[in-house]
Amino acid sequence: MPPEQPGSLPARNASSDRLRIVVATSVMLTFISYWRAAAIVLNDLASSAFYACGIAEQAIGKSAPWLIVGVMLFSFAVRAVYVESCSMFVRGGVYRVVKEALGGTLAKISVSALMFDYILTGPISGVSAGQYIAGLINDVSATADAHGWIPQALHSWFHGTPHVNVNATSVLFALAVTVYYWWENTKGIQESSEKALRVMQITTVMVIILLAWSALTLAKNGYQPVPLPSPDNLKFSDEALGFLKHTFKAQDLAKLFGIFGILIAFGHSVLAMSGEESLAQVNRELAHPKLKNLKRAAIVIAIYSFVFTGLSALLSVMLIPDAVRVPIYKDNLIAGLAMYMYGPQILKLLFRAFVVVVGFLILSGAVNTAIIGSNGVLNRVSEDGVLSEWFRRPHNRFGTTYRIINLVVLLQIFTILASRGNVYWLGEAYAFGVIWSFTFNSLAMLVLRYKYKGERGWKVPPNLRIAGREIPIGLASVFLVLLAVALVNLFTKSIATVAGLSFAAAFFLIFTISERTNRRRHSAAQKEMKEQFQLLQRDTVERAALGIRPGNVLVTVRDYNTLSHLKWALERIDTKEQDIVVMSARISQFGAAAYDLATEQIFSDYEQQLFTKAVSIAESFGKKVSLLLVPARDVWSAIVQTESKLESSAVVAGGSSKMTAQEQAFQMGRAWEASQEPKRQFILQVVHPDRKIDTFHIGPHTPSMKTEDVHLVHRLWLNITREPGLDKVHHHDIVTEALTRFAREYAGRDRQDILRDLRKNSGSRIGTRSIGQQTVEPSLQHISPPQSSEEDGDKGKKKDGPASPPVVGPY
Amino acid sequence: MNWLVEVAIRLVEALFVVGAAGSALVILLTTIEDLETLFGSDESDGKPTTPDAS
Repeated sequence: MPPEQPGSLPARNASSDRLRIVVATSVMLTFISYWRAAAIVLNDLASSAFYACGIAEQAIGKSAPWLIVGVMLFSFAVRAVYVESCSMFVRGGVYRVVKEALGGTLAKISVSALMFDYILTGPISGVSAGQYIAGLINDVSATADAHGWIPQALHSWFHGTPHVNVNATSVLFALAVTVYYWWENTKGIQESSEKALRVMQITTVMVIILLAWSALTLAKNGYQPVPLPSPDNLKFSDEALGFLKHTFKAQDLAKLFGIFGILIAFGHSVLAMSGEESLAQVNRELAHPKLKNLKRAAIVIAIYSFVFTGLSALLSVMLIPDAVRVPIYKDNLIAGLAMYMYGPQILKLLFRAFVVVVGFLILSGAVNTAIIGSNGVLNRVSEDGVLSEWFRRPHNRFGTTYRIINLVVLLQIFTILASRGNVYWLGEAYAFGVIWSFTFNSLAMLVLRYKYKGERGWKVPPNLRIAGREIPIGLASVFLVLLAVALVNLFTKSIATVAGLSFAAAFFLIFTISERTNRRRHSAAQKEMKEQFQLLQRDTVERAALGIRPGNVLVTVRDYNTLSHLKWALERIDTKEQDIVVMSARISQFGAAAYDLATEQIFSDYEQQLFTKAVSIAESFGKKVSLLLVPARDVWSAIVQTESKLESSAVVAGGSSKMTAQEQAFQMGRAWEASQEPKRQFILQVVHPDRKIDTFHIGPHTPSMKTEDVHLVHRLWLNITREPGLDKVHHHDIVTEALTRFAREYAGRDRQDILRDLRKNSGSRIGTRSIGQQTVEPSLQHISPPQSSEEDGDKGKKKDGPASPPVVGPY
Repeated sequence: MNWLVEVAIRLVEALFVVGAAGSALVILLTTIEDLETLFGSDESDGKPTTPDAS
């Protein structure tokens, strides 16, 4: 056994021979503002504005917009339930909340309903976007034809005005978007709050134009009234009564039961608030003050979706004539609204194109959210042993849980094909998943009012206290509405009930059988883990827990088949002088927060294999390493935060199959820029399998200077010191003066001249240097390109190859 | 058989009406709180304030 090192805890516990691993239990996050959080949720929630009213009107008639407004109003109350569930600070997310409240069986049923919701979200969003695109193509073609712009040959080929089959085009589009996001998720591309914010900014522009233009149209053209949802005005289609149409006379049902008719109509409009559950997914990442920001985000979400979904529904019935609204625009109602505004046709077509672009952005984003969400849910239940570990095996190249992604996407593709582009069918089925997910969640929250004894940041009001016992009136009321709607939907949405129950039952069966099959293996694996590993759980990463000294080297590991960079570091570092920390980040993607891992699940069987291999490599060198596992949302941010907390001098990473070393450094630099003070500069060394090394300075650093530049400074210094009274000037004074003047000129009128000269003199290296698909932003240009790079013309500072110096000492 | 369905329907209607009335109260109270949250300062918030005593 190698001798004990000073200042370092050995990875293996001497007394029990177990591997000692420090597991950080707090997820390393980059926190976001409530505006960004609201944007992420609205990307999902606001997408339903594009199809909800069309579906509702087909089911219940012209009064649908009032029901949509009612649902959006009710969503304020549902939002309150999610705020309470988010404020409970339970590790393990909403899944654990439901499981603890309702037990394993109901939790499995709840997850099955949620999976149905997620599986349907993708297809309905993709198909709906396709409907908007196909509708635009056909209308543009019809307009062009009316102006005689269509060539005769094309005209005769289509036997009239050229057009596309709307449903078939929608299916093809939905398939293309789903396959695209399947590949993105397989590669492990992260969801960005920046992108969500941009999409919502563009959507807001569209909403403002829509509302303002609609107001002008109302003033100029007048409007048709939207009938109130009285029993007389509710015109249910045959499908809208589901199983009840065989029990009662169809059109008399609403009149017969009064409120029951409104309840049926409410049930057909409930999908307008789908996406509300995303609030639980972004809660974890909200910046301080968390609860206040959560409430602020919830307010923004509720008001925005009420205005957009509610008002656009009302306006569509007020402005689009009855003759065309359902027959032509039922599946692209907002596009129809654009076409019936006051003004010239070309302007209306242009606005419609804008609506389609926004629809494409927001709806295709929802397809991605659905894949990420379902991947998160299935990963989480797999960790619980409910689903076989086979599903969680990471992709050889990308490290993602590709088998789960494949399963989800296959189910979505099947749904898209089975729907044949019928948005109404998809919407009806989707509502099943939405309403039952909400119902289970509110039931869990209600039960937890009595069972959960921990901290709770906020409670849904009002709460009455009678004889020392709290009566959660508000929470119970929301649950009662959701339960009533869910029960009625069971009987009035035959397609949804059959599809939803079959799907949920199939998933429940798979979960139950898989759990029983896995039980023995799962408990054996747990036992083995406890025998082999000693987990030291710490809330945050700190040097004391690892027993390491400042100036240590952080070696990041992910794939146990590619640990050559660890060997490289072990070859070069004298661990008596400098500690090595082997760090792995357990990534949970956006959308998985509601199904977060429990503390004991952060260290899984995969990490067992990874760290066992890392320790055996270290022991083969006769050296000791410290082991660290951190849960994280973003790997780059996790590395930067860990490096800072451990006061590491360098980070050693393996070459990535997904990105170049420059891209890795770019991502690291970006995470460094986003990290909080105090920041530490450090060296990143990327070790490729062929032992080629790329070295980068992360954080501001002294640039490498060309010999001729050093000579220029020296010549200037010589000339200046000859001037009277300047004999005490130093070289650095010359550089300071030059840089100050440069900064002044760059900030002033000479900016363009400077940029032009830099482009001319430095070619593509500066300003527009492209790293993969990303352009290096000026603020991140401190990331030096590899010092071994040929284009630098800086071969004298080459650090790669076998002769490269080991990473030692603090920089 | 129809009478059984009718009773069930009346029951669901009652659940809905009671729930809707309570939910209206939730919306009213949370809206007042929302206004305070939107226009209040960040200082008054931060940590969980209502540990469950039950």
